[in-house]
Amino acid sequence: MDAGRFAALADAYGSALHRWPPADQAAAMLFAETDEGRAVLRRAGRLDTMLDRHRVEAPGPALHRTILARAAAEVRQERRRRFWWLGFGLAGVGLAGAVAGLALVTVVSPDIQPDHYVMDANATSFGDAGPDVDQTEEDL
Amino acid sequence: MTGADPDEELVRRIGAGDPAAVQAMVARKLPRILALAARMLGDAAEAEDVAQETFVRIWRHASGWRQGHARFDTWIHRVALNLCYDRLRRRREWTTDELPEVADDAPLPDAVPGDDERRVNQALQRLAPRQREAIVLVYYQELSNIEAAGVMQISVDALESLLARGRRALQAMLVGDDGND
Repeated sequence: MDAGRFAALADAYGSALHRWPPADQAAAMLFAETDEGRAVLRRAGRLDTMLDRHRVEAPGPALHRTILARAAAEVRQERRRRFWWLGFGLAGVGLAGAVAGLALVTVVSPDIQPDHYVMDANATSFGDAGPDVDQTEEDL
Repeated sequence: MTGADPDEELVRRIGAGDPAAVQAMVARKLPRILALAARMLGDAAEAEDVAQETFVRIWRHASGWRQGHARFDTWIHRVALNLCYDRLRRRREWTTDELPEVADDAPLPDAVPGDDERRVNQALQRLAPRQREAIVLVYYQELSNIEAAGVMQISVDALESLLARGRRALQAMLVGDDGND
């Protein structure tokens, strides 16, 4: 590690090497033993000393109680909500299945002929068997 | 992210409605969330509100929590920070949606003996919020650089740049030099 990289890391992470990127810590420890390294850490350490004076009070029992009181209701409500959504989901899947089945039946089934096909009195399965005009003319 | 999430089992138990797990989660995370919010906002009462809102989100999401790319601790840091930013934006002094990117690093008034904590709080609040966020996550919350960059959704290089600029500003305000002596 060179002096520039060491100073850049101290600028960013401060004087405590345990906050530095793990991959740089071993090399940094060696450089920290040099005069230049010690000077860089001393300078960063002055700011760290100030920053360490900023303390946040531990949460009080009232805040604890408020958060715990809210927890039971929220977890219960969320589980109920998820249960209902699961129910709606299953109902939706069922409905979608019914619609898809109906559509399939409609597409695949053949056309249904009308029950009462009124046949012409002269029609046969071979077509119109009415008086043959050509034959009639020939007979004349 | 490497390794198992140390909070995953606790979160699963909360989702299953285990009251002991709820208490354990509050004991484990409340001091960290409260400290994070207090340093981001500089106001103890607002920090307590943010801590409460963060836990409400934990309770709501516990039963559906699945570990994805982020650890649970990373996720709650992000939730708490989003709540802090909501409050910062709502404050009257913010006249636009954009939070300032540049710190006001003019030296603070001379210290009264025993008054360092207040001076540090003032100095932190005068930093640009993203610089403050970086310093709070790495210095006070002791997240690794990779975890902090993940919470902030930036690269490690960008994180180091924010840290260095923030610390230089703090150095000027609190120690009286810019760290280049």
